[in-house]
Amino acid sequence: MIDVYDCKLLLVDDEPELRRMVIAILKQNGFKKIISAGNCSEARHLFALEKPEVVILDVSLPDGDGFSLMRDFRASSSVPVLFLSARDEDDDRLLGLGLGADDYMTKPFLPRELVLRLHAILNRTYFPAVLSQKLKPVFSLGDIKIDLNSCEVTSQKGNATLTAKEFALLEKLYENQEKIVTGDNLCMAVWGDSLYGYENTLMVHIRRLREKIEPIPSSPKYLTTVRGLGYKLTGVTVL
Amino acid sequence: MKSMMKVLSRYVLSAAAVAVLLLVINFAIFTIWLFTEKDEKNYYSIRQTADQLTFTREGYKLTGSGRDQLERNNQWAMLLDPAGKVIWNYKLPADVPQSYSISDVAGFSRWYLKDYPVSVWRYNDGLLVVGSPKDTMWKLGIMIPQKSMENLNFWIPLFLILNTITAIFFALMLGLRLFRSLKLISNGIQDMAEKRPVTLPVNGVLGDLAAGINKASSQLILQETALNKRDNARTTWIAGISHDIRTPLAVAMGYASQLEEDEGLMDEQKDLAGIVRRQCQRIKDLVSDLNLASKLEYDMQPLRKEQTPLAPLIRSVAADMINDHISEQHTLEVSVSDNAQNGQLLGDKQLLKRAVSNLILNSIKHNPEGCDIKIELNKDGENFILSVADNGTGFPKEVFERLNETKMDADHKEDVGRKEDVDLMENVNHKKDVNHKKDVDHMEDIDHKKCAEPNDLKEQSSHGLGLTIVRQIIKAHNGSTHFSNLSRGGCQVICYLPALTS
Repeated sequence: MIDVYDCKLLLVDDEPELRRMVIAILKQNGFKKIISAGNCSEARHLFALEKPEVVILDVSLPDGDGFSLMRDFRASSSVPVLFLSARDEDDDRLLGLGLGADDYMTKPFLPRELVLRLHAILNRTYFPAVLSQKLKPVFSLGDIKIDLNSCEVTSQKGNATLTAKEFALLEKLYENQEKIVTGDNLCMAVWGDSLYGYENTLMVHIRRLREKIEPIPSSPKYLTTVRGLGYKLTGVTVL
Repeated sequence: MKSMMKVLSRYVLSAAAVAVLLLVINFAIFTIWLFTEKDEKNYYSIRQTADQLTFTREGYKLTGSGRDQLERNNQWAMLLDPAGKVIWNYKLPADVPQSYSISDVAGFSRWYLKDYPVSVWRYNDGLLVVGSPKDTMWKLGIMIPQKSMENLNFWIPLFLILNTITAIFFALMLGLRLFRSLKLISNGIQDMAEKRPVTLPVNGVLGDLAAGINKASSQLILQETALNKRDNARTTWIAGISHDIRTPLAVAMGYASQLEEDEGLMDEQKDLAGIVRRQCQRIKDLVSDLNLASKLEYDMQPLRKEQTPLAPLIRSVAADMINDHISEQHTLEVSVSDNAQNGQLLGDKQLLKRAVSNLILNSIKHNPEGCDIKIELNKDGENFILSVADNGTGFPKEVFERLNETKMDADHKEDVGRKEDVDLMENVNHKKDVNHKKDVDHMEDIDHKKCAEPNDLKEQSSHGLGLTIVRQIIKAHNGSTHFSNLSRGGCQVICYLPALTS
């Protein structure tokens, strides 16, 4: 196996049209080896014969259900399983994931989403090295350069170091850049508690953070306040 | 139960009163009869007879009216001299002796003379005896101790009181018996009202009544089961349809999406594919909403209730909305009062988020030109008051009319509310399963309006279920929802949700 596209996929669904479509989508997206089955017995047979690297399973099948089929597969291998089901009940979703499925998608779905999720599963399972390098981001806000690895902020005013709390705040905001992060979520990320009682503390820390990353801290340009909700980090350039 | 006690006490008292009244009346009649009737008939007549008996030269002679009297009454008479010998008689029967000793006289004056009831009257030195035919009179000698008669003032009230007590006692016993069987019936009716099966014993005085109640109860339960079965069938049916529709929809959506991304196609064709894809997504949302609405309506949606802080939940929904959905024309503002800041409630987070986002989407949907949406959260004692208001066009007439009906449900409380809820659900179902024609029209209507809209967001929740689901979710959390159009323009939805007491 050189990359994810070399993985052999087993698709189990009782609807021929749907199988045809999924196969077409996957082929179009570069997957080369795709086999499919329309019922449990056929799937068991193919699974034993072909030893696929990933299984896409429907829950309702004419001669059984996907959950028990997955249990059978898992008895002999640790093959990743993605459920593709018409059942959207929370209970089914939780049952599938609880039994150890790697993902659960409900029909109808966007083909792109299926492909992305499949990639994620395969990368996680077979190419974990690719994701193992966990370097913190380095980015700039205008003229100000921020390195989250060393917690250093470099600007014309000179260098500054982020405190642990400021770092946690900035990291959370960076992960959700261009989006509002509610005060509740920030407090949860930094203090592990809800906003209530921390409003002023949060405000103080945001002010200090602004003093380090904003050219004019009193009229913030990058770390803006969304009244009543939270804060938002904008204008990030990844270096 | 209270009313049953009242019934019993009234019954006992009236029964006792009737008994005592009867006693008094009888006593009075008896007394009157004793002192009037008797006097006239006997004592007076023998005195009269004595007055009519005169002594003449030829001996004793009974004159006119005295004789008539004896004749009329079929009586006989004799006069005894001081020695006890009969010195005169009138129709003296043969078996009556001619002379008497003192003890004889004492005997018959008190009792009978040879079974003839006789009366005696003093006549000069002798004794006049008038006898009636055998078996026509009772003679009783009454002797009451002086003391008793003197204490009559004491005895009569005591007698009455004792009688009253006895009467009350018996009435109470009988009343208790009746009460016991009535209590069974009353419990049965109570059970029936609460839809529990009722099987009362059908013997006893109230057997027929009990049998009737048993029958009504079993009928009710049959109906309830039938209703539940129908609701169940309906929900299962909707769930089945929403399941079955997903696979074909997945195929359609998959190919449409593929075409949309196909580099070999012209932009126009891609746009068309995009429309198909978005419509598929709308069908998916609609089907999910329908499924959720039907489950909430018939209490078949499992609720995962946990302690939920409401303010952060609302902020996070609002933030998500602004992050992903809201266009430039719309603003969203959240304000939470201080006392609501830390309040919690027992709720299903997913459903509550759904309710809040449905409300926001509703405002956005009805005001494509833009509006300012204001969310306010307050707490009033035991309740959260969540208000979502906008300054847009307000509820459309038809929607507002429908919501107005349901507004009554909050005013009229549970029982009426339930009925209207069903009506509303009926409405929704009509659109789907009965009124096909209307359904098609309705869908086309939406399609005309929305097809050309490229904005995904505006297509969400543009069917009629968004607000219905909000109302159902709030109701599932024991709250109430009020819809109104504001006079300054725009609409407001206020949800009351019971908070957890900390």
